[in-house]
Amino acid sequence: MRFLDYKIFRIYYDPYLFFSIFFLSTLGLFFLYSASQGDLSIFLKQSAFVVIGLGLMILVSQPDPQVYFSYANGAFFVTIALIIIAIFFGPTINGANRWIDLGVTTIQPSEFCKIFLPVFLSAYLVQKSLPINFKSTLIPVLIIFACFMLVSLQPDLGTATLILLSGLFILFLAGLNWKFIGISFGVFILSLPFLWNNFLAPFQKQRIATLLNPESDPFGSGWNIAQSKIAIGSGGFFGKGFGEGTQANLYFLPESETDFIFAVIGEEFGLLGISILMLTYFFIFFRCIYLAITARDRFCRLVIGSLSLVFISTFVINVGMVIGILPVVGMPLPFISQGGSSIISFYIAFGIIVSMASHKKLIPR
Amino acid sequence: MSKLNQTYVEVRSFTERIILASIIFFVVGIVIFAQVFSLQVLNFDSYESAALNNKTETLAIQPLRGIIYDRNNNILVNNIPSFDLIIVPSRVENLDLLLQHISSFINLEDLKIEDFRLQFNEAKKFNRELTLKRNITEEEKIKFAVRNHLFEAVFVEQRYLRNSLYPELFSHALGYVGNPSEEKLTSLKTQLNSLNNIEQTYTSGLIEGKIGAENIYDTFLSGEFGTKQREVDARGRTLSEEIVSTPKMGSDLYTSLDLASHQAAFSAMQGRRGAIVAVDIQTGSIVTLFSSPTFSSNKLSNGISQDEFKILIESPDKPFFDRAMRGRYPPASAIKPAIAIYGLDNRLIDWKFSIEDPGFFVLPEDGRIYRDWKEGGHGKTNLFKAITQSSNTYFFELAYRSDIKSLKNYFKDFGLGKKACLDCFNEDSVFVPEPEWKIKEHNFGWFKGDTVNLGVGQGYLIATPVQLAKYAYILANKGVHKDLSLTFNSTKDSKELELRNLSQDDWSKIHESMVNVIEGNTGTARRLKNLKTFTVAAKTGTAELVSLESKEDYEETRLDSNLRDHAVIIAFGPIPNPRYAVSVVVENGESGGSVAGPIAIDVLEALIK
Repeated sequence: MRFLDYKIFRIYYDPYLFFSIFFLSTLGLFFLYSASQGDLSIFLKQSAFVVIGLGLMILVSQPDPQVYFSYANGAFFVTIALIIIAIFFGPTINGANRWIDLGVTTIQPSEFCKIFLPVFLSAYLVQKSLPINFKSTLIPVLIIFACFMLVSLQPDLGTATLILLSGLFILFLAGLNWKFIGISFGVFILSLPFLWNNFLAPFQKQRIATLLNPESDPFGSGWNIAQSKIAIGSGGFFGKGFGEGTQANLYFLPESETDFIFAVIGEEFGLLGISILMLTYFFIFFRCIYLAITARDRFCRLVIGSLSLVFISTFVINVGMVIGILPVVGMPLPFISQGGSSIISFYIAFGIIVSMASHKKLIPR
Repeated sequence: MSKLNQTYVEVRSFTERIILASIIFFVVGIVIFAQVFSLQVLNFDSYESAALNNKTETLAIQPLRGIIYDRNNNILVNNIPSFDLIIVPSRVENLDLLLQHISSFINLEDLKIEDFRLQFNEAKKFNRELTLKRNITEEEKIKFAVRNHLFEAVFVEQRYLRNSLYPELFSHALGYVGNPSEEKLTSLKTQLNSLNNIEQTYTSGLIEGKIGAENIYDTFLSGEFGTKQREVDARGRTLSEEIVSTPKMGSDLYTSLDLASHQAAFSAMQGRRGAIVAVDIQTGSIVTLFSSPTFSSNKLSNGISQDEFKILIESPDKPFFDRAMRGRYPPASAIKPAIAIYGLDNRLIDWKFSIEDPGFFVLPEDGRIYRDWKEGGHGKTNLFKAITQSSNTYFFELAYRSDIKSLKNYFKDFGLGKKACLDCFNEDSVFVPEPEWKIKEHNFGWFKGDTVNLGVGQGYLIATPVQLAKYAYILANKGVHKDLSLTFNSTKDSKELELRNLSQDDWSKIHESMVNVIEGNTGTARRLKNLKTFTVAAKTGTAELVSLESKEDYEETRLDSNLRDHAVIIAFGPIPNPRYAVSVVVENGESGGSVAGPIAIDVLEALIK
């Protein structure tokens, strides 16, 4: 779709996505301003990220998808290298090595892995004919698992889960046969006890136990969820109003600017605010599904499809955690939670989506 | 063609799968919305109040405790306002640093750091507050006020110290106060149903009576709690405070206790182990209730160091033991008037009946010898002489003729084996010995010799000082009596002994013989004759702790002061219209007449004056 159609200069963009993302970003700044209790520095920093992100999104929309196809490997391997650098050389914050310090700001390379891994896998898989044979399935599975392990080591279970999902979405969309999906799922279920015993840290087990029985430990790990449910529930239909949330303002709500910002929105803007928010997310999601189905070729389909699924799963996991139906993992609310890498990575993802949706094939292959 | 077909298959597969995925996420979206709807609409009320409860805490305000008076309206216990420096241990991260900081401007030299650390950990565990220093000076108050903002976990608040004006005199009778028990807090929670944070209520200086009248009359003295509401943040910092209902001061307690007699009792006892109980005969109210040695009730109410407490608790004299209510002593010869009344009422003897007293009694069944205290005996002895001179042989003989099943009922009528007082704290009712009791306790049958021993108040017969006082009161008032109490309780029923054959004349003669214990030239307490300004009736007792064959054996035994006889006396006066009855026990005091006697006289003097 063309916005300006000159002979030499043409801007590729999607008006539905652009305006809905712009709306969501603005809403996000508004919420963040309230959640940060008028801390202007948080607001200004996030505003800068939004402005840069929107610009970056438009910029990333311009190249032909063929460019992403060509650079898919390069982008992916650079991301992996950065993750490794972060683990070994990055600053340790709260016991985790997720960041690289750039002086002005820090970046979290794992956030970008959830975008470049699907692009990389799409580029790999489009060259294979259907149905995908065993070898072509095994290689992506190993790569996905390696990425997952790498990010888990940081440790960052939230992002690692998302990376795992992003890879699985690609395999699913690329036409992985149902039998394989069924068997893998069966194996996964059977290995759950093993994973529980050998893979999860005690605090992670506690979080799952808390989810199943939140009242068991109301002042320990259940505290966050209990407080977040109180925040949302006490918002009622219209909410308590901008900056009026007592749960957030009196520090009952944890992480109110990052992972738990949805609870602040629920408290201050009620069911009405949450409905508008959810409608916007799902509007963006369904717009992307439409774009994926109508995309020009298989590579574009796979990339758009998987990135939009990554987007909606981030939303669903974050909200599911905040409202107490999923265990607590570190997961931002896309375009709203404070945090540069998360928001920038989604702008880039949507830039790629728009590029792939708006560049129509000129010459049939 | 095959490539076109391949593309067609691929597009179809992709479309199917992405639509399937969209449907799944759409359904998940609906689940999320349903949960949010459930939180915000269906359960709005409970979450709204939860959010409100989060930020507000309701605290109980302790009402001022009622004042305790003696019978002449002298204040015995009141409250002193005190500005206390209080810390909230659960909010303290580094205790040493905090103490160092505070001690730079408030004198903490008196703080026993080891004790405090223990209390600190305890308080932290239960999220209770802890008083760091009581009664800080005006200067310290100001110094703290200017630094207030530096301390998140420390504050100064006006509290009240429970203050006994005579901390040593009434420590057992009135008791002391302390932090409320869990049960108290639970009942308080029911009383104040808006109270949602019970740990916090403890922290507002709530107190409860622990022993004595402070405990028995706790509800009466406590008054009604007020409430205040605080808006707090998640870290527990107070943002605002508002009084919801003002507390209602507790009622004042007017006791029947008499200050002067306690002072007399205290100085007469001189810290020896024992107890004194005196009763106002007209009302059956207790006027003197003193257990010795004693301790400072103020220290127990308002804080005592572990060291001081350890000294008290480990003292061989056991100052915390309430001897007046729980001390078990053989009444010894003091029981003889009761035996005499049993004998007269059952017509086993009369005033003319006499025996030849050789100084011992031989039990006909097995030839066992029961010795009198006087070698050679009292000669020809009738009842009057037997009481005055405390002839054991006479009462052995009388007890030998008694039926234990009937005798035990007389003991009960005279107040043994049951609680004497309606509103005393933790009274021991003890028991009356009888054959069934002996089988149960000792798995042994009752011997005639057991009954003979009861005749001189030894053997299995045991009573507490308060029971002895009630017994003295019943004797003094010729059988008419009420239950004892610590207040002038007008609702008590008057009771009378059910005696078949005892006449007023018999009562008068009993009184006369007891007067003669002091006034007579051969009375066992004749030494008291010149100590008093009015006529007193008395009966002494010397309670043997070990059963011995002869005087010589006793001389050996008394080398161990803990095995020396207990001195007992019951007395009432002034005669002919007695107003007060008193019982005195001095542990290992040896002589009822010369050791317990003067104490009883001092107390009666103080009461009658």
